[in-house]
Amino acid sequence: MKVIECQHVKKSYRKIHALEDITFQIEDHKITGLIGRNGAGKTTLLKILAGFVNEDTGDVRVFSNHPFNNLCVSANSILVDNQMSFPDSLTLADILEIAPSFYSKWDAQLAARLFHYFNLNPKQQHSKLSTGTRGTFNMIFGLATRCELTMFDEPTNGMDEAVRTDFYRALLKEYIAHPRTILISSHHLAEIEHLLEDILLIHKGKVVFHKSLEEVKEYAVGIQGPIEKVIEFTSQMEILHTKQMNDQLLYTVVKKDGPMNLEGVSTKPISPSDICMYITSDSKGGIDDVFN
Amino acid sequence: MNIAADSTKPIYIQIAEWIENEIIADRFKSDEKVHSQYQLADLFNINPATAAKGLTILVDQEILYKKRGLGMFVAIKAKATIIKKRRSETLTRMAMELVLEARRLSVSEDELIQLIKRCEEEQ
Repeated sequence: MKVIECQHVKKSYRKIHALEDITFQIEDHKITGLIGRNGAGKTTLLKILAGFVNEDTGDVRVFSNHPFNNLCVSANSILVDNQMSFPDSLTLADILEIAPSFYSKWDAQLAARLFHYFNLNPKQQHSKLSTGTRGTFNMIFGLATRCELTMFDEPTNGMDEAVRTDFYRALLKEYIAHPRTILISSHHLAEIEHLLEDILLIHKGKVVFHKSLEEVKEYAVGIQGPIEKVIEFTSQMEILHTKQMNDQLLYTVVKKDGPMNLEGVSTKPISPSDICMYITSDSKGGIDDVFN
Repeated sequence: MNIAADSTKPIYIQIAEWIENEIIADRFKSDEKVHSQYQLADLFNINPATAAKGLTILVDQEILYKKRGLGMFVAIKAKATIIKKRRSETLTRMAMELVLEARRLSVSEDELIQLIKRCEEEQ
């Protein structure tokens, strides 16, 4: 079953094109990483899927419904981000108490256990929490809703290392016990890689690729060797990144394209996180070029 | 064992190798049930689909077999199959790397054999 279907989705804010052309589909019960640089359009896309904002053109379907102003989508999905707000008249304990009236699958026991584990203060107001603690509370809320579509936008921003690790572990355990469709946006792919089944990479409002993690690992290869030799080898290939190591050595990352005869040069696998970084960098060089 | 996400080896290969090691060490015996994809996911903190891929490649190599609705079991000849495979593939490849490195460092054949003997004694 397809939980999300997007066809040529566009969205602009005044003159800024947040989403240019987004087309992809997500099957149920998969954990997908939504990866992209700052300003790639990750947050806008998640807000459209959650029904918070309406797209300009294109077709968006979540559980086969158009999400904007749709009750079915609201009741069965949640977007956890740092803009989540709760009324100041409620304490954290109050929020957890009324949550089941909005989310039918609410797991009060899980919420209480996590709340206790992370040492949150039940009498506090949501708006008075520090960034990290607010993130922790939002994460607890998101997991406990057990929504069929659970989305996290940069969930670990502001959390310390230990809480991050705990968060990812809690997410995985919850997913194993109660599978659901999960979308996590992050610019820290290396941190969430082990949890993911698929990666959706977007850049400048467009989908670059939507592949399984294993396919992404096979996407590119690094080639290092004498300059002329590397240039000769890579002349017909799509170059993602190059770096001159010294007077004689050149290092080039190319898109893998069938078997290659690479005599005289050495090859190196490229991590998914590096692949995403190379593909989404504007110049083919890097920060070093600024200083040359 | 820890699964290293940043390793050059895909995670599902590392999972398959871990199960193979458990079979070689007789911790999983013939016709015994091995961990499910969900148990492996929990144990190694990875996506269950990745764990399933690790199990699938072992089924393809006839090291594990599937019983419908019951899970994955160790094939009768699993241990022999793994040992045979590792001797012909893994060990040969490692020997090749050893010989290459020795050549790079101008270590003679005799010196290399001496080195291996010494390592054997120290073990």
